[in-house]
Amino acid sequence: MNNRKFMVRKAAVLGAGVMGAQIAAHLVNANVETLLFELPAEQGGPNANVIKAIENLKKQDPAPLSMAAKAASIQPANYDQNLELLGDCDIVIEAIAERMDWKSELYKKVAPHLGEDTIFASNTSGLSINELAKSFPENLRHRFCGIHFFNPPRYMHLAELIPCKESDAAMLNDLEAFLVTCLGKGVIRAKDTPNFIANRIGVFSILATMHHADEFGLGFDVVDALTGTLIGRPKSATFRTADVVGLDVLAHVIATMRDTLPQDPWHRYYAVPDWLQALVDKGALGQKARRGIYQKMGKEIHVLDLAKGAYILSAGTAEDDIKELLKRKNLASQLGALRANSHPQAQFLWSIFRDLFHYCAVHLGAIADNARDLDFSMRWGFGWNQGPLEIWQAAGWSEIAGWINEDIAAGKSMSAVSLPEWVRELGQSASQAIDISIQGVHRTQGSFAPSNNTFRPRSTLPVYRRQLFPDRLLSERAQYGTTIFESDAVRMWHTGESGGNGSADDHIAILSFKSKMHTIGSDVLDGVQQAIDEAERNWRALVIWQTEPPFSAGANLQKATARLKGDEPPSAFSVLAKKIRKTAQSAVLKAARGLNLADALMAGKLAEIEAMVAQFQQTSQDLRYSMIPTVAAVDGLALGGGCEFIMHCDRAVATMESYIGLVEAGVGLLPAGGGCKELALRASRDAKDGDPFPLLKNYFQNVATAQLSKSAEQAKELGYLRAADPVVMNRHELLYVAKAQAIALAEAGYRPPLKARNISVAGSTGIANIKGMLVNMREGNFISDHDYLIGTRIAHVMCGGELTPGSVVDEDWFLELERAAFIELLATEKTQARVEHTLKTGKPLRN
Amino acid sequence: MTKQIQDAYIVAAVRTPVGKAPRGMFKTVRPDDMLAHVLKAALAQCEGLDHAAIDDVIAGCAMPEAEQGMNVARIALLLAGLPDSVPGMTVNRFCASGLQSVALAADRIRLGNADVIIAAGTESMSMVPMTGNKMSLDPAIFLRDEHVAIAYGMGITGEKVAQRWQVSREAQDEFAVTSHARALKAIETGEFEQEIAPYTVLEKRPDLVSHEVRDISSTRDTDEGPRPGTNAATLATLKPVFAANGSVTAGNSSQMSDGAGAVIVASEAALKRFNLTPIGRFLGYSVAGVPPEIMGIGPIKAIPKVLKQVGLKLDDLDWIELNEAFAAQSLAVIHDLGLNRAKVNPLGGAIALGHPLGATGAIRVATLLHGLRRHHRKYGMVTMCVGTGMGAAGVFEAL
Repeated sequence: MNNRKFMVRKAAVLGAGVMGAQIAAHLVNANVETLLFELPAEQGGPNANVIKAIENLKKQDPAPLSMAAKAASIQPANYDQNLELLGDCDIVIEAIAERMDWKSELYKKVAPHLGEDTIFASNTSGLSINELAKSFPENLRHRFCGIHFFNPPRYMHLAELIPCKESDAAMLNDLEAFLVTCLGKGVIRAKDTPNFIANRIGVFSILATMHHADEFGLGFDVVDALTGTLIGRPKSATFRTADVVGLDVLAHVIATMRDTLPQDPWHRYYAVPDWLQALVDKGALGQKARRGIYQKMGKEIHVLDLAKGAYILSAGTAEDDIKELLKRKNLASQLGALRANSHPQAQFLWSIFRDLFHYCAVHLGAIADNARDLDFSMRWGFGWNQGPLEIWQAAGWSEIAGWINEDIAAGKSMSAVSLPEWVRELGQSASQAIDISIQGVHRTQGSFAPSNNTFRPRSTLPVYRRQLFPDRLLSERAQYGTTIFESDAVRMWHTGESGGNGSADDHIAILSFKSKMHTIGSDVLDGVQQAIDEAERNWRALVIWQTEPPFSAGANLQKATARLKGDEPPSAFSVLAKKIRKTAQSAVLKAARGLNLADALMAGKLAEIEAMVAQFQQTSQDLRYSMIPTVAAVDGLALGGGCEFIMHCDRAVATMESYIGLVEAGVGLLPAGGGCKELALRASRDAKDGDPFPLLKNYFQNVATAQLSKSAEQAKELGYLRAADPVVMNRHELLYVAKAQAIALAEAGYRPPLKARNISVAGSTGIANIKGMLVNMREGNFISDHDYLIGTRIAHVMCGGELTPGSVVDEDWFLELERAAFIELLATEKTQARVEHTLKTGKPLRN
Repeated sequence: MTKQIQDAYIVAAVRTPVGKAPRGMFKTVRPDDMLAHVLKAALAQCEGLDHAAIDDVIAGCAMPEAEQGMNVARIALLLAGLPDSVPGMTVNRFCASGLQSVALAADRIRLGNADVIIAAGTESMSMVPMTGNKMSLDPAIFLRDEHVAIAYGMGITGEKVAQRWQVSREAQDEFAVTSHARALKAIETGEFEQEIAPYTVLEKRPDLVSHEVRDISSTRDTDEGPRPGTNAATLATLKPVFAANGSVTAGNSSQMSDGAGAVIVASEAALKRFNLTPIGRFLGYSVAGVPPEIMGIGPIKAIPKVLKQVGLKLDDLDWIELNEAFAAQSLAVIHDLGLNRAKVNPLGGAIALGHPLGATGAIRVATLLHGLRRHHRKYGMVTMCVGTGMGAAGVFEAL
């Protein structure tokens, strides 16, 4: 296989349990033809079990599938009838229950049917890959390895790749490239040690948290208040995460560590606490059982109180001075202050960090190749903003090491084992003769690898050339190419020579917004127009790409006078399961925030706002009709005005996790940056038999109900992305692909499209038909009178006004209607109340 | 009884079983095919009848377009094998279309202008949705407030009736439970056997493995709508669909359905000439208009009107087939007119049996006449409310 180009035409997943089915779902998300195998069912036909598992994928939340329709592409199969189909599969992922004997038996059964070059990977979270390999025929072992996906596999970035002794190096590289580009994963090569890297560290962190919570007498809810966003970890923190994962699963991985790591200095902590065992025993397994450490009682959250042995209303919070202390930007001062503070919450936090650092240092060499792999595992697998070693380094390597040593000596740490010698050496900068200014594991030349005492650079596999700006460690500075021009609101730049792997002479200009949530105010509009102007004169194409998601939270109608301060970079865990569910609601909030209307309205600046809406429309039109190709590179939320920009660029490239929508109606407004115009234009252009209404009706419903796509694929269905817009699975490759699209458009001899001059409108009949829907909703009290007004105004604009159906208009006709309706709605008290309410409470107002 | 110019007799009344729409047993069956099927089945009951003597075929359909468009009556009668000389027309009075067909046929005969007419109805709500494939409202509707109700969906009118007549959710659900219970019992005791002409559904499906076309055939002889185990508790869990905090649910509304029915109407002369046995006599028919926003109360106006026309009192009626568009409007009608609930829909109604819009009238004439005869009763009525605010009622005598 070394000399052949590797490709995956077809894949198979063995085992249609939760993980297997979801891995299959993610494969079809990536357009990989996939077979899903399960044991033959006893009833309802041999594939009944697997068919049921595939059906379930459509119902799960967060959705494993980018579109429910993709479920049809997972082909059901069973081990009795279909093993010969494995011969056509380039990769087979085994994901059956974690039992060595079952896996071993299955390998014997399937091995004879595998194709000549088939890669066979076991998705296991705990079993030894080398032990598993023993059950695999010796002559095939070079194609065997482990892949550890994290649950849910669509959303969790990490995939640990674990070679067995015989795994072929070229095969592993091919597989890594597939996992990175095709499935969008962040791949970490892990050593074959129990629970690999992320779960080994993550489960220890939970155990340490439990231990110190007990020591300092803190309740579960207090611990969660302390160990969530305050310290850069997901909001679900420790115990709510455990509930989500499943307490039985947690108990299982703890047991794995207890059974397989007898020599570990922390072995005595590898035990399931009695209270946890009791919960598991009585079936309180967490979220899936509707009760675990927490329990939802109506709208209240109740938490288990160990002292009382009962669930009580959850009211635990972090102390205010502890919160203040954690706001300090300087990590050294933060950790020092925690250690020096005698408050139990402070001592607790210092202790969990100390023991985590201690544990990571002692085990780094055994479980991971280098420090960067450990840190990224925790970011990608557990959603931490930073890994433990980079925090330690940022806080001051030697000082922290000294404190750990003091605590070890004082018997405060969980284990008395000494820190490895290299910890001390890495604090003595001079001894390394390199990077004397930096102490710690992460240096400019790479991250520390204890096995050979060197600093390992990042992987040079060709696949990583596609990542122009990979995730950065805390110690690494952002270097985004060479500036072309920069204002307070935007920066136009090119990758140039410093831009990672970007070619200096591709002459593609990139525009990035600097505003909070990348909202679009008049200063951003000025910047976009200036960038188009500059690109027309000196560059081949313009790509709009943001250095962090979201793409844009929409228009900001406030005259931006001062830069908004206090930007916090969105967490790398921005796609955390729970967030997805709340995205739609928070989208409305963000839309409202983006508007920032209150001040402008107080001052009665409607005329000013109308001028800005006109500028917005002009900018959209410029994106469409400029003489250079424009490409929107979309990741994360793209709301309102952000969505309108996407619709006006010549091409969009979007990551799978793009949540795109025209959500203005959520705050009582309508899209007026060309969005309604664009939908009307498309409905006319794509109309069957000349009637734009059937398409318009769908577009109207999406706009009126502020629909937000749950994936890039779904955004195509909604009409916000076009069929030809590429979808990228790995957000780190987004800019690379967007630039490639820009180059392709430029190389094709780009000319802007001719202006649309013959848009056929649905007119008065279209408006009447929509009113027909709206009156029924109003009479049924599903919508208020004001909703009705908003709906009719959206209908009015999208149908081209009260015209005779079939009348032909141009784009300006629609743009004028957009402006007039936007200002009309904005001038109503009820819309103003909606915007204000949403800004204050974060929730939509019905009035 | 008032003296008529001439009497109109029913000599055959048949129907298909009724399937659930849009995903039921007849979801792939065309409404024109269903109509041809019931025409043939009705003719099969009149052995002596010379088909060339049929003066007309009148078919009701509420959404006469697409699969049931293009004058479906004429197309179906030709497909049923009737001679070219037999004409056909389609009539539309929404939910009263099937009954309207019978009335039109009977009136032509009563006037002496025809001797044999087949009246029928067909509707596939699976293939042609409730508002048709392309609803297009006149913008003028929204120019005046009093016209807006033209745009109301039927569900909203059901809610309006529930509010104004103060029909509680519990009463509606209880009515629905009775409908299902009566229908299930009727099926179990074979009440519908005489009227139903079993339909064989033939589907051609691809076998994607062998690449062969598979014929899948199944014969259907039982209504699909009645749901065993329907009780107040299960119905109470359903959410109102047409209004927030409303009371009309999928469980206490008529079901969307597919089906067809046909009735052969003949003059006294035709009875003798073709040696036909009458099963019933047509007595009269009335329609009346009401405000569109409370269309469900239509029968309150139509029933007294037809009773006056035929010279009968409410008490003279032994059996009333009151189409259960919604439990709310059914109960409003029952309440205002003081109908005896035991006589209303003794075999269940549209909430259980389904409501294939334009076919219902013809279907329920078959139910009424066969039922009256089996139970040795005399006078009966088929009545329903009609969209945009109308009511229709027809009176029959079993022979």
